[in-house]
Amino acid sequence: MTAGMAHHGGRRRALAAFVGTAVAGLAGALGAVLGAFAAPVRREAGKGWLRAAGLSDLEPGTPFAASVSVAIDDGWRRTRVPQTVFLVWDGAGGIRAMSATCTHLGCRVAWDAATKRLRCPCHGGVYDAEGRVTGGPPPSPLASVEARIVTDAASQDEVLVRL
Amino acid sequence: MRRLFDWLHARSGYRAGLSHLLDEPLPAGTGWLFTLGSVLLFLLAAQLLTGAFLTLYYAPTPDHAWESVRFITREARFGWLVRGIHYFGASFIVVAAVLHLLRVVAFGSFKPPRELTWLTGVALLLLILAFALTGYLLPWDQRAYWATVVTINIASLAPVVGHALATLAGGGREVGALTLTRWYAAHVIFLPALLAALVVVHLFLMRRHGISGPVRPRSGGARPFYPYQAARDVTVVLVVAAALVTLAWRGVPALEAPADPADATYIPRPEWYFLGLFQLLKYLPGRFEVVGAIVIPGLALLALALLPWIDRGSGRDPRSRRRTLTGVGLAVIALVALTAAGWRDRPASAGERWTPRQIAGAVWQARAGCERCHSEAGLADPVGVASLQRSPAWLASHVVDPEVIGPGVRQPPRVNQREVEAIVTYVRRLAAGDPPPPVSESDRAFALLFARYCVGCHRFHGDGGTEGPDLSRVGAKRDAPWLLRWIAEPEDVDPNASMPSFESRLAPEELDLVARYLAARK
Repeated sequence: MTAGMAHHGGRRRALAAFVGTAVAGLAGALGAVLGAFAAPVRREAGKGWLRAAGLSDLEPGTPFAASVSVAIDDGWRRTRVPQTVFLVWDGAGGIRAMSATCTHLGCRVAWDAATKRLRCPCHGGVYDAEGRVTGGPPPSPLASVEARIVTDAASQDEVLVRL
Repeated sequence: MRRLFDWLHARSGYRAGLSHLLDEPLPAGTGWLFTLGSVLLFLLAAQLLTGAFLTLYYAPTPDHAWESVRFITREARFGWLVRGIHYFGASFIVVAAVLHLLRVVAFGSFKPPRELTWLTGVALLLLILAFALTGYLLPWDQRAYWATVVTINIASLAPVVGHALATLAGGGREVGALTLTRWYAAHVIFLPALLAALVVVHLFLMRRHGISGPVRPRSGGARPFYPYQAARDVTVVLVVAAALVTLAWRGVPALEAPADPADATYIPRPEWYFLGLFQLLKYLPGRFEVVGAIVIPGLALLALALLPWIDRGSGRDPRSRRRTLTGVGLAVIALVALTAAGWRDRPASAGERWTPRQIAGAVWQARAGCERCHSEAGLADPVGVASLQRSPAWLASHVVDPEVIGPGVRQPPRVNQREVEAIVTYVRRLAAGDPPPPVSESDRAFALLFARYCVGCHRFHGDGGTEGPDLSRVGAKRDAPWLLRWIAEPEDVDPNASMPSFESRLAPEELDLVARYLAARK
């Protein structure tokens, strides 16, 4: 056996190298594929423009609470969550949108037409029509949201927001 | 580096184990035919690994199974590859197992003292088929659902225990959520545990008795498995792996529409390795079904298991085992012939061509104005992107009156019952991932008429009612003038006809179009 092995020593080494390389290659390839597969897919969540309201719904200067249905991609599940944004129209071509989430602890603010303020029911935070803090605990103004006005095919003016 | 391994060996003695595995002495002449065992081990490992990783995304409930599989195929990184390997790996394992079995039979390797190895091998073959069966259900599309209904029905044919077996396997009287979780548990927990145990026993017994080697002993001493036979094994494994990846690259058969338990017109068909059994059942209808479903397969399996005792005598030479080898050969030929017949005979998959209802549904859906809400900027997901957890019945109610589901929508679309059915079929097809193919004007015009007036009683391209005949190839039997007369006024052609007349319901040019279109379907 020893004599035979010395005779075939070179061939034996070559075959061993082949087996080792092939096994390592297969294992490596499978490992790489499965590793990439296991990594969660990073979604650029459809950051598209969503219709918030028709321009005719808005009064210049008065924040209007619009409900927008936002698509949430959760793996194979796609759900739609309604979110509220406040739209402020200047009467001409300018439109602004603000989040309705209080910057203090996350409650939803509401427009108080009598005092012309946005008020938070949780801890008394108060904002003006531009979203700036005028009273209470909120540390910063209401987050602003991209908005624009478009005219659709039927010549209706619509307000779109991007959340 | 070597010192690290020396340290490891001093504490675990692993080199002895490695040597036991790799330095296995093989009789001279053990060649390429003996690589099949390693191929099987590789394929089993591939299935186990890809299967385990698929469970990271798969959801085993009727509401979400289909979507999770679609997510894997379309969105997860390399999901198409992992699923492809798993899907085709199943077929490869069946083929490899049968080839391995035939090699063992040809070489008489099951003769004493290896009968127990043989029995564990037969059990492993059955386990592999059980894996294939339980896995087939998991995507929960039409094909998976209805094939499982057939399987449970076949199980119920077993004498005495049939009903209990069917109820236990099905998780109840109908195929549903409990069936899915049960078969998932089997596929992922129970069967793998059993498989691992049996494989260990099979390999232990194989090593205990040594590889049987060639029938007639060759000159030359035993050679160690590594690296000589290992090199052959690895070569074949590389070829098999390349074939597997190539097939996966070309794509797994598309998911069909999500399972619809209410659609009894769907024609089920099994995976290719069960086609032979399927075909056999066609030759034994009615009371004789149990013969084809239980008796013949049962006897065949029994004969297979008892081969070491049927093929007595310790001689392995094929020339002294002619009867056994002829018997096995005939069985193989019969199985191949049945499978080939089953393949030729298989029903056109409903998932292949777009049916008139789907084509018409596309047109009617566009006219119904669903985009008012179902668009990227709108209240709800665009048609075709929306998830399909909802049953066809729910979808139909929603099309008829969206306000019921989505308050605030101004007007429901103006659609009649047939249009609703077509729209629902279209939406489900779209969500399955098939963009509508380009259709000619005549295809579309025909589809609009067929889907409104004819589909209730007639099938066309796999979709429709069964009161009247299938019209997919009616042009081979009837010409246009005959069809025109018949559709306009059936009782003029045959006083006993039960089909209503359409002379007053279709305009002359519409009648003409339908008749000529059908006459061209040969």
